[in-house]
Amino acid sequence: MATLNEKKTCSERMADFRRFVWNPETKLFLGRSLINWVWISLYYVAFYVVMSGVFALSIYCLMRTINPYEPDYQDQLKSPGVTIRPDVYGSRGLQIYYNVSDNKTWEGLVTTLHTFLTAYTPAAQHLNINCTNNTYFIQETFDGPNKTKLSCKFTSDMLQNCSGITDPTFGYPEGKPCFIIKMNRIIKFYPGRGIAPRVNCTYVGEESRPLEVDYYPVNGTFNLHYFPYYGKKAQPSYSNPLVAVKFLNITKNVELKIVCKIIGAGITFDNVYDPYEGKVEFKLKIED
Amino acid sequence: MIGGFSILLWIGAAFSWISFGIQLAQGVDSAFDNLYLGVVLALVVILTGIFAYYQEAKSTNIMASFSKMIPQQALVLRDAEKKELPADQLVVGDIVEIKGGDRIPADIRLIFTQGCKVDNSSLTGESEPQSRSCDFTHENPLETRNIAFYSTTCVEGTATGIVINTGDRTIIGRIASLASGVGNEKTPIAIEIEHFVYLVAGVAISIGVLFFIISVSMRYKILDSIIFLIGIIVANVPEGLLATVTVSLSLTAKRMAKKNCLVKNLEAVETLGSTSIICSDKTGTLTQNRMTVAHLWFDNQIYSADTSEDQTTQSFDQSSPSWAALSKIVTLCNRAEFRPGQENLPIMKRVVVGDASETALLKFSEVILGDVMNIRAQNKKVAEIPFNSTNKFQLSIHETDDPHDKRFLLVMKGAPERILERCSTIMINGKEEPLDSEKAEAFQTAYMELGGMGERVLGFCHLYLPENEFPETFQFDTDSMNFPTSNLCFVGLLSMIDPPRSTVPDAVSKCRSAGIKVIMVTGDHPITAKAIAKSVGIISATSETVEDIAKRLNIPVEQVNRREATAAVVNGMELKEMSAEQLDEILREHAEIVFARTSPQQKLIIVEGCQRQGAVVAVTGDGVNDSPALKKADIGIAMGIAGSDAAKNAADMVLLDDNFASIVTGVEEGRLIFDNLKKTIAYTLTKNIAELCPFLIYIIASIPMPIGTITILFIDLGTDIIPSVALAYEKAESDIMNRRPRNKRRDRLVNEQLAVYSYLQIGIMQSVGAFVTYFTVYAEQGFLPSTLLGVRVDWESNAINDFEDSYGQQWTKYQRTYLQWTGYTAFFVSITIQQVADLIIRKTRRNSIFRQGLFRNKVIWVGIFSQIGIALILTYGLGHVTALNFTPLRFQYWFVAVPFAILIWVYDEIRKLLIRRYPGSWWDKNMYY
Repeated sequence: MATLNEKKTCSERMADFRRFVWNPETKLFLGRSLINWVWISLYYVAFYVVMSGVFALSIYCLMRTINPYEPDYQDQLKSPGVTIRPDVYGSRGLQIYYNVSDNKTWEGLVTTLHTFLTAYTPAAQHLNINCTNNTYFIQETFDGPNKTKLSCKFTSDMLQNCSGITDPTFGYPEGKPCFIIKMNRIIKFYPGRGIAPRVNCTYVGEESRPLEVDYYPVNGTFNLHYFPYYGKKAQPSYSNPLVAVKFLNITKNVELKIVCKIIGAGITFDNVYDPYEGKVEFKLKIED
Repeated sequence: MIGGFSILLWIGAAFSWISFGIQLAQGVDSAFDNLYLGVVLALVVILTGIFAYYQEAKSTNIMASFSKMIPQQALVLRDAEKKELPADQLVVGDIVEIKGGDRIPADIRLIFTQGCKVDNSSLTGESEPQSRSCDFTHENPLETRNIAFYSTTCVEGTATGIVINTGDRTIIGRIASLASGVGNEKTPIAIEIEHFVYLVAGVAISIGVLFFIISVSMRYKILDSIIFLIGIIVANVPEGLLATVTVSLSLTAKRMAKKNCLVKNLEAVETLGSTSIICSDKTGTLTQNRMTVAHLWFDNQIYSADTSEDQTTQSFDQSSPSWAALSKIVTLCNRAEFRPGQENLPIMKRVVVGDASETALLKFSEVILGDVMNIRAQNKKVAEIPFNSTNKFQLSIHETDDPHDKRFLLVMKGAPERILERCSTIMINGKEEPLDSEKAEAFQTAYMELGGMGERVLGFCHLYLPENEFPETFQFDTDSMNFPTSNLCFVGLLSMIDPPRSTVPDAVSKCRSAGIKVIMVTGDHPITAKAIAKSVGIISATSETVEDIAKRLNIPVEQVNRREATAAVVNGMELKEMSAEQLDEILREHAEIVFARTSPQQKLIIVEGCQRQGAVVAVTGDGVNDSPALKKADIGIAMGIAGSDAAKNAADMVLLDDNFASIVTGVEEGRLIFDNLKKTIAYTLTKNIAELCPFLIYIIASIPMPIGTITILFIDLGTDIIPSVALAYEKAESDIMNRRPRNKRRDRLVNEQLAVYSYLQIGIMQSVGAFVTYFTVYAEQGFLPSTLLGVRVDWESNAINDFEDSYGQQWTKYQRTYLQWTGYTAFFVSITIQQVADLIIRKTRRNSIFRQGLFRNKVIWVGIFSQIGIALILTYGLGHVTALNFTPLRFQYWFVAVPFAILIWVYDEIRKLLIRRYPGSWWDKNMYY
């Protein structure tokens, strides 16, 4: 095989490159004449305008087919996720550590709870109705104002000792902290199959003592009249029902692993990949 | 494993490991993803490296065959005693003795000879043994008689000589080191691929760095920016392409092997396609390498004989009694015989014992008359004088096959002028007529004409010996010649030539229309060379050499305007005198060139001359001495049958049937693969944009990641591989042999148009299609496009497990991640679907797909089905393996991109239509790749 490419020195390459950028003899700029550049730019501008138009049209068509009230599919939302407040995430999930004697360590946690509960003040909930039925609040029609559906009121006082009203510190300084459990909203999800789902918190692992918990509202249930959820557009003022848990016998200075599961038909908590589906697990360590 | 894309991928892998290390130290859960990614990237590099090495390992080392030639022992006179020494221990000044049958152990100057003859064929190609003496006869060491060369053989006699050169300094050693020193330079396709790698790597690096800067200035963390950089590199590098190119080339190589072109160096496949000059040997390559009767002259008339490979019929007039007489002489005055046991073979294929001319005559008569041996048996031979160089004739005396005719028949053949001297009569239409000056003139004319065609002419005559003088019992004595050898009856002439192979004229004209110059290089006589060149079309019927013009105009050669002559026949002696500039001028000025009486060394000079013209040169050769030229040429072509091992080793390609026409089919394949590689690369590059855009949009618009790095690798190394190989099976769009060879400086494999059209037009369309699918999947699951913009940080946060969608539903991190994988799968699927359209449009560059035929290339359909099949397996079969980030996709999402696939097809058809409609227009210049 014979020599086909001559070796060029660096300066020759640079000269070649300069020549490519602007060739004074042929008046070519980057290998094209200026008028050619204008044409090609115009073509590409036109091409991209058209392509943007096509894209916009496609998205427009997509939006036309979309139901504004509920999504077409809920493939990933078979079972609701569960979150807890206050939530402090460490490198291995939720880690709530504080020292009872050092109020700086728990003031943040208490503030989180207060902030979270501002959405549940009577003022915030004034648009919602009081519900007393302990069954699903099924609404086929739009009975609310502006073609909406009604939502049931959930106010923080329903959390009694953990409402932050009677005890603004939520029991943190006493080493009996309150946590608020919230179940994720899923449109037209009927938890519990007629039986109100409830929260159940236990230790994980070989903790000898059973965990003593106070649940608010009583039994730690989510009342069925908060379900089903009809979506943001139908129920703009909907608030998730909450369950507060107050741990009463936490051993001090030990890292404890606690899991709060939601017990109810249709709610699964055994997905190995998703630690927050139907349950919430966290580490708690109270020092003094 | 280093250089080009590999280095980019190594960088990607290194970055992956670095970010793995950092993330691990930070205790991030997803750190191991980066480790795996780095491992996968490294694996890709190593596997493609192994693949490339496997292909390289097939190439053989030329020096191996030279080392085999070293003679074992030499008889040396040292310290006043004769010793057997290994030849490699010889030193300059040693005195060695050689006898018949020895291989000469070094270059030696002879100081004593006794009837010594050497066979120099391995060195110079001369097949006759050369006699050697102590006399200095020529300035040129190759020509002088008193030097014997290393590696040649002493055929007979004995000699003593002084060693003057050993090892690499010997003539053959120099040829060998020249051959290895010429070295493997880059092939045209290697240069093209390098150019392409530079281009793509340039794009990858500049986009990567640009977006690294953008993402850093957008306050992304450096670590994140590095991960984006990896993604951009992986998206930009066509990981599977180099393997695809290798596979495509080896497929073509296989196809060429079926057509008798055995390609040793894969890249040579394409080199052959870009060939602009073929320097071809004559004997065996252009010709059949077999003397054949071409013309006959009797009854004052020249008849043509069939010279094709399987001459089953001879169509000249066989009714004349003169022919009967001539045929009898041809049959009887011939010592050649068929080897027994070949009755079932076609006559032309039978092996004959006898020299080339006699073989030709034997076969000729066997074809026309049937069983020659039987005829000879009926006409019993009673005496014979074989041919020798002093008599220049051959004679035999036979009984006749007519039982009533008791006369003897004397038949004779030989050099025409010698035969005519012995004749007093000439046979015209079966009657003997006196040989007057008019008839002698007719003979001369015919003889000149046949000789002028470069043919070897033989004269035939006979005499019926009178019964009274030579009775049945007469004892013929060939030494005293007790029978007449003059006043014979002249019967006719037969002329023979090594005729061109019947496929060659066609192949030469194909070369001509393909813009390839065919130069004949032969050791033969210029007249023969020119005659063959004319008959195969290397010199076309209308063109003239300087000498022809001079003859026509009746002026001296010097006065002829050299530019008027399109053809040139250059003698080896002239070539020796020529300067490089003169040779360049000949190669430039004349379209049709024949080099005659050339030594194999001159072949190298011719090749270099052609290369100085900027041509891609193919050279054929068979001898050891051809190996430098074969090596020097852009593509060396060795003869499979006649070629020596050294030639085969030096060559890039071996012609299994020694036939020139096979080279032309090779050229056709080479051109086709160049076109098809263009298509393959265009196909492969397109989806790079669809893989790259997600990263860019992700960085700029902070949407959830549309496609994963692993998913990209599954496209590049999974779904796309078979389709890109399938394009290698595409048939040519138009007659590729009607186009000039590609200009290696201008006609690049990957030109600006190809890259721009693939990247900025089709690639963008694909990206739009894929993004529409992506947004559809998210929207139908609850995330409308408007919600997605700017959510990246929250979306990817492990601390948010109640992420709200457009409908107010709340998602955990895993639920979002799973949706993100569904997005990957949807993006992957829509790229795959659009790649089907891309594959179909890439079938042609100019013609409509419907003209090319959708179903003519079945392999394309294998490609399409494999593509979709692999995508189905990945999505539904492996959709549950979380590490691969595929999810079982809802079936309808396969069709979201279909309108875009159709759009791509329609757009490309319009592009091609406008190119065909307005050739040379702005559109053609910018849109044709």
